[in-house]
Amino acid sequence: MITLGHYLIVSGLLFTIGFAGVLLRRNIIIIFMSLELMLNAANLSLVAFSRFRLDAAGVPNYHAQVFVFFIITVAAAEVAVGLAIIVALYRARQTTHVEDVSTLKY
Amino acid sequence: MTISAPTLEIAVLVLGLSMLMVEAFLERTDKRTLAFTAILGLAAIFAASFFVIPQPADPVATGFWSFYTADPLAIFFKRFALATTIFVLVMMIDYAPVVRESIPGATPQAGLGEFFTLPIFTCAGLMWMASAIDFVMIFVSLELVSISFYVLASFTRRNPTTLEAGVKYLILSALSTGFLVYGITWIFGVTGETNLARIAQALADPAIESGPALFGMLLVLVALGFKIAAVPFQMWVPDVYQGAPTPVTAFLSVGSKAAGFVVLLRVLQPFFILPQIERLLIAIALLTLIYGNLAALPQNNLKRLLAYSSIAHAGYLLIGVVSLAGEAVSFYLVAYLLMTLLSFAVLIVVARQTGENIEDFNGLAKRSPFLALAMLIAMASLAGVPFTAGFLGKFFIFDAALRHHQTALVIAGVITVACGFYYYLKVVRAMYWEDSPNETAVPLSGLSRAAMAALIAGIIFLGVYPQPVLNALNSPRETIPATESASAR
Repeated sequence: MITLGHYLIVSGLLFTIGFAGVLLRRNIIIIFMSLELMLNAANLSLVAFSRFRLDAAGVPNYHAQVFVFFIITVAAAEVAVGLAIIVALYRARQTTHVEDVSTLKY
Repeated sequence: MTISAPTLEIAVLVLGLSMLMVEAFLERTDKRTLAFTAILGLAAIFAASFFVIPQPADPVATGFWSFYTADPLAIFFKRFALATTIFVLVMMIDYAPVVRESIPGATPQAGLGEFFTLPIFTCAGLMWMASAIDFVMIFVSLELVSISFYVLASFTRRNPTTLEAGVKYLILSALSTGFLVYGITWIFGVTGETNLARIAQALADPAIESGPALFGMLLVLVALGFKIAAVPFQMWVPDVYQGAPTPVTAFLSVGSKAAGFVVLLRVLQPFFILPQIERLLIAIALLTLIYGNLAALPQNNLKRLLAYSSIAHAGYLLIGVVSLAGEAVSFYLVAYLLMTLLSFAVLIVVARQTGENIEDFNGLAKRSPFLALAMLIAMASLAGVPFTAGFLGKFFIFDAALRHHQTALVIAGVITVACGFYYYLKVVRAMYWEDSPNETAVPLSGLSRAAMAALIAGIIFLGVYPQPVLNALNSPRETIPATESASAR
């Protein structure tokens, strides 16, 4: 039997993998991918909470599912703008590695 | 005549969309006309906001009104967003030649239309954020603001520094969004609600598990700390402020921060019953104050100096948040708007002729006495010299903190103010006591001169007579999460 806890553990793992990816990877595109993973971790746990939080009539809590649709839409907009900026960076510098993007310093 | 509050945002959006439509068909016209239209339109909406009758949120409301409130705080910050955007557009007109040089385009005016239109959408997002009382609404409006800022921050894309700043802002802002969403998830998991008032009700129930909700709140605080540039989430601020086009920097430092603080005031309301949150906020406020002021000391680039100063001001504002003084925070934000926009306006004009470093301001008093005076007043107000809005803002905040027995914060605040005098007056010394290599006056358009004069007048007027701003927030009891949560502790 799969319980709410299982879903939350998977979602926690996704979030941790995403966060670790942002901190450890050096390619901006992969960092960006990891960021999307973090958003999807939230989506997964929201849907799980919605499914396991039934009201008296046995209906799931739809607030969370609506929120998931908002997150998906916003994430798509963010990817569109983000990839455009990364492409512009690649055109200017011929690189997408964070080490090569560090002219602004203290 | 009365207007319903959401009409204001809808009007702003319609203005933005119709400007984009019109822009698509106007290839030959001077794109600055668009900016003038936008300024006029936003000014009209600003005037219309005075016909909106505030109505506090109804806790049992459903549908749209469970997401949206039109209380005095919300309407106040809608005006705040509109005023900021108007001043930013004035600066953008001055900055247009720089944009034109640094965008590869088929026509000489390529890109300018979007440059003038995007701030309007940002403004709509800021206005929605001021009214948001539901985590879904907070998330969506926050993202509307962030995504338009991604584009604006990397707008002059031929300039590699700008592009780098844009990418840094993109990655770190998206990271903070990830934290925000995951935090909201946990709060929802515990309470089953996304509406802030209902979350507060659910949390007041002693049977509820507050651990996961606290964890969720921590993640939300990380995300908001990023927006308001609080230490330790400030690492993006100096780089992005320095690299982004200057009007965008001004917009980021005023609009983004103010919206962050409104959301912070609202979001903290349900959570102030938990004492851990208060201790955490005190620690963040102390760190922010000390880091912002110390790191500003050795700066030579004025944009970077203003970035650290913006971090320091987030520290003072956080003192107000910890002391539950919504009114003091709002007044401080208005003062911050006036003085920050004034200093950026002068910076843009002067940087066109010489540069962004402090030594580029050498002898400005001889070259352009008006600009030097404007900068002098902005710096005096940022430092907190009496008879300026900045002084009264700090005074109200420290006063509220003392009434709340936050003595440690007040002591740290006063010491760091002294520290602030050093780096702000460094700019004044350069303008008035150093000699300038060239003696040509800095060209200044009539519109910018009028905008600067308005900002100067605002700083002096509010420094002597703060009542209008305090009155605008008239029923402060509703906006401050004070009485009940304070007694609960």
